[in-house]
Amino acid sequence: MRYNRQIILPEVGEKGQEKLGKAKVLIIGAGGLGAAILPYLAAAGIGEIGIIDDDSIEISNLQRQVIYKNDAIGKSKALEAKEMALSLNPSIQVNAITDTLNAKNAIPLFEYYDIMVDATDNLHTKYLINDACVVTNKPFVYGSIYKFQGQVSVFNYQNGPTYRCLFPDESSNSKNCVDAGVMGISVGIIGMFQANEVLKMVLGIGNVLSGELLIYNMLNNDQQKFDLVKTNTIVLSRLDFEKKYNVVENTVLEITANEALEQMENPDVLFLDVRNEEELPKMSLPNAIQIPLSELEENLDQLDSNKTILVYCQSGMRSKKAVEILKKHQFLKVQSIAGGALKLQGIIATDAVSVS
Amino acid sequence: MLSVKYFGAVAEKTKVQGENLPISNLSLQELVDELEQKYDLASLSYSIAVNQKLVQDKNSYMLMTNDVVALLPPFAGG
Repeated sequence: MRYNRQIILPEVGEKGQEKLGKAKVLIIGAGGLGAAILPYLAAAGIGEIGIIDDDSIEISNLQRQVIYKNDAIGKSKALEAKEMALSLNPSIQVNAITDTLNAKNAIPLFEYYDIMVDATDNLHTKYLINDACVVTNKPFVYGSIYKFQGQVSVFNYQNGPTYRCLFPDESSNSKNCVDAGVMGISVGIIGMFQANEVLKMVLGIGNVLSGELLIYNMLNNDQQKFDLVKTNTIVLSRLDFEKKYNVVENTVLEITANEALEQMENPDVLFLDVRNEEELPKMSLPNAIQIPLSELEENLDQLDSNKTILVYCQSGMRSKKAVEILKKHQFLKVQSIAGGALKLQGIIATDAVSVS
Repeated sequence: MLSVKYFGAVAEKTKVQGENLPISNLSLQELVDELEQKYDLASLSYSIAVNQKLVQDKNSYMLMTNDVVALLPPFAGG
């Protein structure tokens, strides 16, 4: 009964409904696009839906992320989204993943699901999704917004073109929604296009938007398609992928004590001590500030995000945690000093580095 | 007349959605160089389509009258 109105379509039928029920779809991001995609896939009877997002609901999300209620502010997006989808259709399975998509969890997740849906708001994650799809040989439905324009495509579908065939340049800097502004309707329209591609792929009907980029203009209803061909034919092995992402992330996040001390006189560098005040040895570095790790999140306004922030604690564990916190709050140039104060002190003592 | 269409952040810079240019005997790369200078597009990243098809090799692509060129930046919002 629940699916009767779609089953009577010859393009769907009982067989099609069975396909929907067996499909496993992962929605990456529970923001504006995700909030549009999820209820329609759930209602149509996609058998298993994963939704991954580590964000909490904020009041400024509600004008476009319409599945969240006002009294859910502060709660986890992934968990609230799951609850909403199950209240809509309790006969499906919904998996909430309260994490960001990263190089470590992407491959196992993508191996499990059949189709990934990109509902993210940043380019870095789009390249990550693309590369993990190439490694696992899975398609992904791309959707993205710039103000009143939206882009939609399906990448890596049956060995078709990938995101890198369309945008090879990874260093590009398109504004995201927070910077550029967006209407709820716009993410809704593009999310609908994406959900439609998912259903077409599962049902095997129509023409999947593979090898084509759709651009939709909400202000004048202009709709254009551009053809693209597969140009990036580099076979990415799982090992290549892990090298590319994990290694890069690790080296960026840590700096040796020696390298850190070379930056001591650099006015663009700030040393951040996240130990408690009573901890020894006391360090007297120039351009330094002390904020215990437990108080860091409440005192971010004391830090200048334009500076490179080198974080240290006693031995280098808490400072890694601090780097994660700072990254989460958009501090881009942050590194943890390996070995912490003990290592720094050791070098200063033996090499007689002058400390003013 | 050659027709050029702008999208996303590129259109933001050009302040127009598109324009017609009286240009002939020009490679795609030469057109792009001209537009980059005219609109200060160097800081932006975009792909290029001619007659609704993505073009990779801009140097060897000679434009013809009535071609429609599109500058397509990636979007990131969601």
